[in-house]
Order: sequence, then structure tokens, then C-alpha cells
Amino acid sequence: MDVRVPRLAEGVESATVANILVAPGDRIEKDQVILELETEKAVGPIPSPASGEVTKIHVKQGDEVAVGQVLMTLAEQGAVEKAAQDEKSKRRAVQRKTAQQGAPQQSEKLAAPEGLQPEPYRYESRSGFPPPASPSVRKIARELGIDLTRVKGSEAEGRITLGDIKAHIEQLQQIASAPGPAPEKAPKATPTSADFSRWGSIQKKRISTTRRTIGQRMYDSWSTIPHITQMDEADITELMELIKKHGPSYEKKGARLTFTPFALKAAVTALKKYPIFNSSLDEATEEIVYKQYYHLGVAVDTEAGLIVPVLRDVDKKSLSDLSAELNKLVERTRQRKVSLEELQGGTFTISNQGGIGGSHFTPIINKPEVAVLGLGRAALKPVVKNGKIEARLMLPLALSYDHRVIDGADAARFVRELTQALVSFKEADLKLIQR
Amino acid sequence: MEPLKTDIVVVGAGPGGYAAAFYAADKGKKVILVDREKRLGGVCLNCGCIPSKALLHATQLIREASESHERGISFVQPKISLGKLRSWKNSVVEKLSQGLSGLCQKRGVEFLQGRAHFQDSQTLRVETSEGQKFITYEKAIIAVGSKPAIPPAFDLGNKRVMTSTEALEIEEIPKNLLVVGGGYIGMELGTVYAMLGSSVVLTEALSSILVGVDTDLVRPVMRYAEKAFKAVRLNTKVVKMATSGKQIKVVLAADGKQKEEMYDRVLVSVGRVPNCKDLGLEDTKVTLDDKGFIQVNSQMQTSDPSIYALGDVVGGALLAHKASKEARVAVEAIIGESSAFENVIIPAVVFTDPEVAWCGLTEAEAKEKGIKVQVARFPWAASGRAMTLDRPDGLTKLIIEPESERVLGVGIVGTGAGELISEGVLAVEMGATARDIAESVHPHPTLSETLMECAEVFYGYPTHTVAQKKRTPLP
Repeated sequence: MDVRVPRLAEGVESATVANILVAPGDRIEKDQVILELETEKAVGPIPSPASGEVTKIHVKQGDEVAVGQVLMTLAEQGAVEKAAQDEKSKRRAVQRKTAQQGAPQQSEKLAAPEGLQPEPYRYESRSGFPPPASPSVRKIARELGIDLTRVKGSEAEGRITLGDIKAHIEQLQQIASAPGPAPEKAPKATPTSADFSRWGSIQKKRISTTRRTIGQRMYDSWSTIPHITQMDEADITELMELIKKHGPSYEKKGARLTFTPFALKAAVTALKKYPIFNSSLDEATEEIVYKQYYHLGVAVDTEAGLIVPVLRDVDKKSLSDLSAELNKLVERTRQRKVSLEELQGGTFTISNQGGIGGSHFTPIINKPEVAVLGLGRAALKPVVKNGKIEARLMLPLALSYDHRVIDGADAARFVRELTQALVSFKEADLKLIQR
Repeated sequence: MEPLKTDIVVVGAGPGGYAAAFYAADKGKKVILVDREKRLGGVCLNCGCIPSKALLHATQLIREASESHERGISFVQPKISLGKLRSWKNSVVEKLSQGLSGLCQKRGVEFLQGRAHFQDSQTLRVETSEGQKFITYEKAIIAVGSKPAIPPAFDLGNKRVMTSTEALEIEEIPKNLLVVGGGYIGMELGTVYAMLGSSVVLTEALSSILVGVDTDLVRPVMRYAEKAFKAVRLNTKVVKMATSGKQIKVVLAADGKQKEEMYDRVLVSVGRVPNCKDLGLEDTKVTLDDKGFIQVNSQMQTSDPSIYALGDVVGGALLAHKASKEARVAVEAIIGESSAFENVIIPAVVFTDPEVAWCGLTEAEAKEKGIKVQVARFPWAASGRAMTLDRPDGLTKLIIEPESERVLGVGIVGTGAGELISEGVLAVEMGATARDIAESVHPHPTLSETLMECAEVFYGYPTHTVAQKKRTPLP
């Protein structure tokens, strides 16, 4: 049987594998916590839906996983064989519990520093009934592997609400991730709304889920990553002539030759030379993860807002294939037909505003990536070349990067490499892949 | 022949099977639904819940009309056309069954009529009218239900000895009917025949009708049965049955004495047995318990990892809505969602006159398990609505955990109890306290008020009755 990512919460479609607690060959019990998933909101333990032997683990720490994705494969035992074992495991669990009494539990023990342990809470009912909570709340708790007897209910007689579960998870997460004594958190200002109609007529529109998600991600990225933006200009006079020259023959094959695929190719050249730009920072383990694949996100302006679908293996694809694939992907994104998977796994992002206009801007990094390239509109500018002033087509480039892992000098080198790749794009590359 | 391939095959198209098939299809699975009958709906729709309720509703009017005399409105003796009654009942069944077929088609669930037989853990053979078909599947769900039990000694091969299936066909109104077994089926069908004019004798081997049901709730039903039936004989066993001309000779034993009686027809309602035989389960890893029910875990998975089972065939309460809930659990488990049949409140309704309904913990169960509870009772004699309906013979009771005041169980007897119990289910599932029910305004005059007033009884301030003892506030 395959163990899949359960439905995590309303609106949460994906999560990151925070910890894998079992290994292939392990015998596990039903409801045993097998791994922990981190969503935008919390870290939640994932219990095994069945007993059996772990035959394969399909994910690794740090992987982005989507709801329904296979996490691991179990060789199951039948129900009856299991019933006999359940009894045993129950006994074992009791022993474990007694041994752990007072000590924090599985997910809580990660890095729980002194003095930060939550008061051990356990719901007790004389009738032996589970704590009061609505069926929907119980269902979510089951999916997240939360033991409701450990959740303090805020309503009368300890009734547990969805909010209580959230608070419980936040508490677990805080304990798990706190590096030392908990920093004094400044109380978050409660959002207030102003009455703008006092100064004129207004119209109100509720923000969409997509908008809210974009907002959360942008805020998260902007507030947790020290951003620097390196700017430059690339002379693409010759490249544009190449595109003009070869455009018609591409057109005949049904592929419209646009600038973005060249930018993707140039980016890969630079990423290969400076792999740190194709990495991610694993904040939990304090590791830099270098990726040996080049999946590039392309920012697409849709009616619902910004969406960034990912083109896979850009390094392995020909220009014509890339062009065709990109056109289709952009089209499907505008129609909101891309799957969640197509939005995940990017290693670097390009945001091309050239089609709209404008010059340099400061793009925000698409976390957990570490850099993003923003392209403005190319314009004819006077450039001194060989002592003479020439009109050249100059493309504004802006590279934002995560200063925690990348230094300014590297950024300058990366941008130089990228510019160079665009300036001296070989016509041969264009022909070669014409087939 | 190339076998049919599917994600999920569901065997049995009753309320468990079709619920599973539809849900799985809604979740994007390719589903084949197999049933040996051409009509969808299983026992519940074709020869169980639905036809029996149709008959109970139709015949209920006979009682009401006769009682109406006391209220100043008199009717002449009703004329009964059995043919018309039967075809109306059948039309209800037919409409519902066609509705299911339509739902099946709309979802793209493929329906296959035929007998299903497991070849191994991954293959099902179906004997259809067009010959054998083989289905290979990822997962199978067995929901083949149960059938009326008939002890060999009663199985005379005489149509005058009926099970519920035949009784629902109302071939005739027997002058004298013996109902063997005082469970809900015997009580419901006995009521139908009594209304139609049969002289009904009901025997029960144990000391009470509706064994297992809260005694407070059984009492009004027993009182009514004693009036409507010629006799209700408890602690009475049927020793022997034999065909005797156009009648059945029955030997009954009670108090160590035997006596012989003649009946025109006999209804045997002594329980139901699972339909596990002839499924080829011996060629899978599926195991049965000592009563012949399929063993499953809380995900409805059998000992064979690729086979799930649900509904009557796995035992427990043999109820349609239990099967439907299990269907949700099974499908969710199959598609990898975490789901389990745990702490699920399954309400039960007996459509006797008056109806009995309950959910959650019962008073007897609490006693048996040593759970300390407080019971609040509200008699319907204090309900204005019950009086206007001329049915004050009801009772609403709440089983409450004293410390938390949480409602652990609800029991209701009275007309329309089956429609009232859902509020109880919601309360228990939500972990509501008696206060929650007392504070929720219930419309007047309705029978639902009895739930609110019952909660008020717990606190000592019901409006329409006087609580016996004031509840002392907890320190």
C-alpha cells in the first residue's frame, strides 16, 4: 500500500518533508508517526494508516510534496494478523508512555529547550469518552495525526475547536524550531480597517484565495530573506537580429520564437557555472542543497494574479522545444489549468516584464529558491563601442539574491556570465537545434 | 477473453455497496458495481427498509381512522385492495431503484448483473447472462449484505412459512398469523398485518420484545403491541412446525409445557445471516469470525490487503446507514486518506408504533460498563404537541456525563421518534452539553421541544413538568 500525503487543512495543498522518522525495512505500527510535514502554517506528524514493513521511501527531507503524493510504500499485513499484534503494540505503547512520562513526545522532543515545555495536558473523562469536538474537527485531527486528548479545548467543558488545533500545532512547532529560549515576540498589531468612504466613493472586493496565498508567500519571502538586487544591462542587438532571421523558419514548424527561451538558456549557462544560484537553504538542518537539475519558473501574469509554473530540465531541451512548451504552459496557466505539481520544484525563476514595459525592478525571491531574475523592456541606447557611439538594443537585468547564501561578488559574476551568454549567443546553437 | 480492468470493484449494490461505488467514482476512480439482482438498492430498497416503511405508512391510517372516532370524526370500515397496495409499494421501490440506476450512469459507474465469485485476491469472476466475465482490480469491496435466517426445522418449503422477504409481498391477509421473533422486523411486520386485519400472535424466546433496547423505550411499544396483537408470548419457544392442509401446525413451549396451535401463516423473523457463502472467499485471504461475518479492521480492510468489506456482511448493527458510513471509510482508506470507523455514532430506529430511536450510550450500556451517568427523562404527557397528536405515550431521555454535563446518549420513544433522533446524533457527535440543548430554542408546539425540556429537566427547571430533583451545582 502507498502512504500518501493526507489532506492537510483547508486551502493547504502542499507541504515540505521536515523529518523522516523511519527507514526502509522498518516494521511500523498503524498510527505510528512516520514523518513530519511542514506546511506554510505548521509542522504536523503523519501517522501510518496501517501496520507493515516500509519497502520504499519516495521522498527525502526537504522535498515539496503535494496532497495525494506517495510518501512511502508499505508491505501490509492483513487485518487479523494485525489484531493480534495490536494488542502487543498497545502494551508496548503503554510501556513507552510510562518510560516517557514527563518527557516530551516525539515531535516535541526535537529541540525542546529547557523551560519551554508545554504543560503536559491530557483530557480525562470518567466515562472513557474522547474529548468533545465536532466530527469535522476530529477528522482534521486524524488527518494531521493530532492526539485530541493532548489538545486543550477552549470552549465550555473543554470542547475543542479548529482554532485550538491550530494553536496546538503552533505550540509544537515553536518548541520544535526554537533555537534557544523563545524570543520575546512583539505582539502583532491587530489589523484595523479604515473607513475610506469618508473621503469619496469606494468599491469593496474580497481578496481571492490566490491573492491571499501570493500575499503570504511574498510576505514570508520578503521578511525572512535578506534581498539584494544586482542590476546590469545586456546588449542584445545581435541576438534580436538572430531571432528576426530564424523566426520565420521556426514559425513554419509552429513554434513562435520569443525572447524568454533565450533568457532561460542563458540563465542555465550561468547557473551551471555558479551552482549556488541553483540551490536552496534548508533552514532546519542548516544545509545548502545544490540541485543537479535545472527547473526554471516563469512568472506568468494571470487574471487571478501572479502564478509561477515550472519548466523542467531546461538544460536538456532544445530552443524550439522550449519555445513550444513555454507557450503552452503560459496559455494553460492563464486558463488556470496547471496542476499543483507544475508549480513546484523550481530551482530559479525568471520574471520577464519586457512585453509590458519598464526598466529595472527589484523582484522578490520565490522561496525556497535563492535567486530570481527580472527582465525589463529592451531599449535602444547610445553605447560607446570601439570609441564610437552606437545605437544598441540594451536589456535591463535585475537579479535578486538571498544574501544569506550568496555574496555580492558572486552575484556580479553571475550577472556578467548571464549577460555574456546573451550578448554572444551563438547562431550555431540556434541552427543546430533547428533539425 | 481479456479481463475487464478497474480500480475498484464493488460486490453488492445495497446502501453500502452503491454508496461506496458512487463515492469512489466521485473521487476519480474507475468503478465496476456488481449485483446478482438487476435492480440496484439491495435488501434495504427492494425487500427491507423501504417497502416495509411504505406498508407501515399505508396501514397506519387504519389505526388513526379508528381512533379518530373518539375525536368526533368517524369513518366507515376501510376496504383493502391488496393488489393496489402491493403495486403502490412496488412503484415506490421501482422509482427509487431507477433513481439509483440514473445516478450510477451519471457517474460512469459500470453496473454488471451477475453472481460474483473471487478467483483469487486480484480477480473476480462474474457469471452474467452473457456468460462469464473476469474483472481484475486494484481493490475490491464486498458489500453483499445479509438474508433472513431460517432454522432448518422451520424450512418446510411451504410458502405459508414466510421470512420478511415474502411477508412484504402481502400475498394475502392471513386470518391467523404467528410471528416468531420479537425483534424489530417481527414487530414492524406484525404491526402491518395486524393493521390489515390479521389476528397476530407474537412469540419471543427471551423475556422481552426488542431485546437490547432500553427498557424505558420498549415499554410503550409493548403496551401497544398487547393491544394490537392477539397475544405477545414472551419466554416462548417454537419447538416444531409442520404443514397441515392449508395451515401450519406449530408446537410452542413455555414454562416447560408444550401446546399445539394452527396458523394460516407464520412469519419467521429470528435474525439475519451474512451472505458470505459462494463468494469464493476461500481463494482469498479473507477470514470470517465464528458467526460467519467477514473480519475487518477499522479501515474496513479484510485480512486480504486488496479486499475491503462493509455493511451487514461484517456484522455489528445491521443497518443501512451504518453500511453507508463504512463505505465512506473504506473508500477514503483505499484512496489513501486517513479515515477510520472509530467513535462513530450510529443511530437506530425501530418503526413500531410508537417509534423507538436512540443513539450513543444507552442507560443499560452505561450500567454494564460501570460508566457513571445521570439520566434525564421527559414524558410526552407533558408535551402540548404530543397531546394535540393524541399520542402522549412517548418519552425522551438524555444520558449525561455528570461532571462535564456532556450528552453521551439520547433515547426517544414516541410518534416520529425516527425523525427526532438526528438532533441527538448531532449533539453526541459534537460533544454538546445538556446546556447546549437547553439553550437552543426549539419551536413550539413541536415534539422536538421534548429534547430541550429534557435537558432542562437535567438542570431542574423544565417549563412543562416538574423536575424530581434539583441538580446540585458542581463545586
